[in-house]
Amino acid sequence: MRSGHLALSARGVQMQYRDRGTGKTLLAIENVDLDVPDGAFVSLLGPSGCGKSTFLKIVNGLLPATAGEIKLHRVAKGREDAMVFQDAALFPWYSVLDNVAYGLVCAGVSRGEARKRAVPFIDLVGLKGFDDKYPYQLSGGMQQRANLARALAVDSAILLMDEPFAALDAQTRELMQAELLRIWNAAKKTVLFVTHQIDEAVYLSDRVVVMAARPGKVIADIEIDLPRPRPLSVKRTPEFAVYEERIWRLIAGEYEHARVASQPDAAS
Amino acid sequence: MIAVRGAPAVQLLGRLRSSNERVFYGVFGFVGLTLAWEIAANTGLFRKSLLSSPSAIWKAGVIDIGAGTLWPHVGTSLEEFAIGFIVSVAIAIPLGLAIGWFRRIDYFLNGLLAALNATPNVALIPLIILVAGIGFESKVIVVFLSAFFAVVVTTFTGVQSIARRHLEITRSFGGSRWLAFRTVALPSTIPYILSGVRIGAGRALVGVVSAEFISANQGLGFYIGFFGTFLDTARVMLGIVLFGIFGVVLGELLRVVEHRFDVWRPELHR
Amino acid sequence: MTETTAFRVIHARARRRRHPLRRWYRGNERAILSAAGIVSFIAAWQIGSDAGLISKFFFSSPVEIAAAGALEVQKARFWEDVKISASELAIGSLAAVLLAVPLGIAIGWYRGVSLTFDPWLNFFNALPRVALIPLVVLWVGLGFEMKTIIVFFGGFFSIILPTVEGVRTVDRQFLDVARSFRAPERLIFTSLVIPGTLPFIVSGIRLAVGRVLAGVIIAEFYAQTAGLGVMIARSEASLQSDRMLFGVLIFTVLGIVLTEAVGIVERYLQRWRPSLDLEEAA
Repeated sequence: MRSGHLALSARGVQMQYRDRGTGKTLLAIENVDLDVPDGAFVSLLGPSGCGKSTFLKIVNGLLPATAGEIKLHRVAKGREDAMVFQDAALFPWYSVLDNVAYGLVCAGVSRGEARKRAVPFIDLVGLKGFDDKYPYQLSGGMQQRANLARALAVDSAILLMDEPFAALDAQTRELMQAELLRIWNAAKKTVLFVTHQIDEAVYLSDRVVVMAARPGKVIADIEIDLPRPRPLSVKRTPEFAVYEERIWRLIAGEYEHARVASQPDAAS
Repeated sequence: MIAVRGAPAVQLLGRLRSSNERVFYGVFGFVGLTLAWEIAANTGLFRKSLLSSPSAIWKAGVIDIGAGTLWPHVGTSLEEFAIGFIVSVAIAIPLGLAIGWFRRIDYFLNGLLAALNATPNVALIPLIILVAGIGFESKVIVVFLSAFFAVVVTTFTGVQSIARRHLEITRSFGGSRWLAFRTVALPSTIPYILSGVRIGAGRALVGVVSAEFISANQGLGFYIGFFGTFLDTARVMLGIVLFGIFGVVLGELLRVVEHRFDVWRPELHR
Repeated sequence: MTETTAFRVIHARARRRRHPLRRWYRGNERAILSAAGIVSFIAAWQIGSDAGLISKFFFSSPVEIAAAGALEVQKARFWEDVKISASELAIGSLAAVLLAVPLGIAIGWYRGVSLTFDPWLNFFNALPRVALIPLVVLWVGLGFEMKTIIVFFGGFFSIILPTVEGVRTVDRQFLDVARSFRAPERLIFTSLVIPGTLPFIVSGIRLAVGRVLAGVIIAEFYAQTAGLGVMIARSEASLQSDRMLFGVLIFTVLGIVLTEAVGIVERYLQRWRPSLDLEEAA
């Protein structure tokens, strides 16, 4: 269902903040441009401190950027974007059903109606039968399914995902990646996905945008030309390894660059 | 040792112990110490005028209940406690929530309320008696004040410690601040409120006893003090035991309320 | 035209350069407002009192209280009372800590013993300890000993209960680690049980602060022999509300100082615990 227009378009986004301790102004993000076509799956990949999560929060409206502009394609009803948070993002005092319904409640839907509309999304993410469980009764993977369902339920055009699988164990993470692609395919969403894992970004995405840290900036934008649907076995193909290798070199190069740049400091 | 292990009575004891350890030891400790106390008092290990004995306390209780001279005192204390405490909690909880929710108000009142909370408010009893007289009202005011600051302070501390991430979720989905208050602040503060209510209940009980000691002609505190001057140790102990039972029952009631509100907290379900 | 209808635009918010004074205020807002709160409370009391809105008969104004205090501290009798109250508090509290901590650790270490004592400890913890005053009077009379014993009871049960609880809940995982390395019991005790229980002990002591203060005041009210509580009660009887509130103020200050002191110890002991919100700092 690609209509050809852009779901998101960012120009010259910059984020600086003042360090409370030192009083110095720090540049977290320097001049980021990014286009995300409608229906695409785009990953922001980079080491911690590259401002990828910050960028997501700016898109979501949680933080104001200090310069630049972001345009989100307007939708007929509801919100343009919805966030899937990293971990521990469910309210421990709500059942799965109430947690998934919460995004709708925030949008002004009545509690009863929101619950009714949440049910199919609980089924979609594979949590059927867990409606009345509390978060502590769920495994980490199941909690992230509920987290995803909450964002899907508000029926936004674009999903913002902030390292949603970072806290999961390796096997669960792989399964969740495959699940995410299945759901993405069923729900027809645009996804902006933040991660620091190269294989995760390559496996999921149409495009991987590689970022470097201090200050955060885009250093590469790589088209992933692997056929869909992608079974997990794609990860064991030579084509996949080529992409991984290429991105790894980019990031390692940045590290080397940073290390050399900081050496005079270390010597003194 | 090996022979003993085979004895049926010991086996039964062992089974009882492992089936419900807590209750087993609890009953054992309660019955054991009560018996030891009774025996020690009757064999003259200590003078009966010092601690009385369980049987003497029991007898005093039976006589006073039969004569109808105990309940009026218990009733008065209960009434003073209930009115003062309920009014106190009913005002303190909303106030604490409001103070915690609005950052500037919180900053403004924080130090003042902490100071008032640190004041042993029983020191104000003479002043309260001066203002409100020696009757029922002054006791209610003492109870009210004793519980008030503990509940306010724990409540706004609870609101302050809401996880920032949880507030972020409401904002992320475009929910209003009022929605965040109802769906995030309120539920995550409840454990703090309840522990404040628990602390407040303890202090309010101290307030009742103290105020009744200092000036009263009715109430359980008066009962204890009155029989103290007559060297009637059994009735002094009876009053103390009744206060203790009241404290324990109150604590258990609050525990039930806590469980009712805390179904989502894993640490209580292990 | 189509641009504006088709997109929701998120604009940047440029960081304004604020006036240094305003920046200083933002950095210290909490402390400034907190001080303002206390100052305005005292000022409102004084103004209300001068304007006749607050009865001077019951609540002397802050200035009057200060004046009464200045007069009071010149009296030998006052310092006599301070000395008595302070000794009761010090001896009673010290005895409570010295007995409750080792006893609590010993009881908590043996599961059966701790469960046996449970109902009694809970009973005494739920009992308002000041109710014991008439009983203790029967034991030792109305003097110094009675008041010290009441202070002791006030502190003892507040400390022993969390201590027992602390020892009983020492993390099983750490115990397993120690046992798997064949650590001797003595070492387990000093390296695991004691540090694991310390926070519980200190939080018990924090609860005890309020209780020992209340205990000494009520005991002195009851006995009417000597001490700061008697000074408060006597002032009330002679309708000197300024002098009485000065007495109350001393206990307020004592309460704040002691609570703060325990708080400092508590934060020091908890310094190795990671702050929960660390990852949100950015």
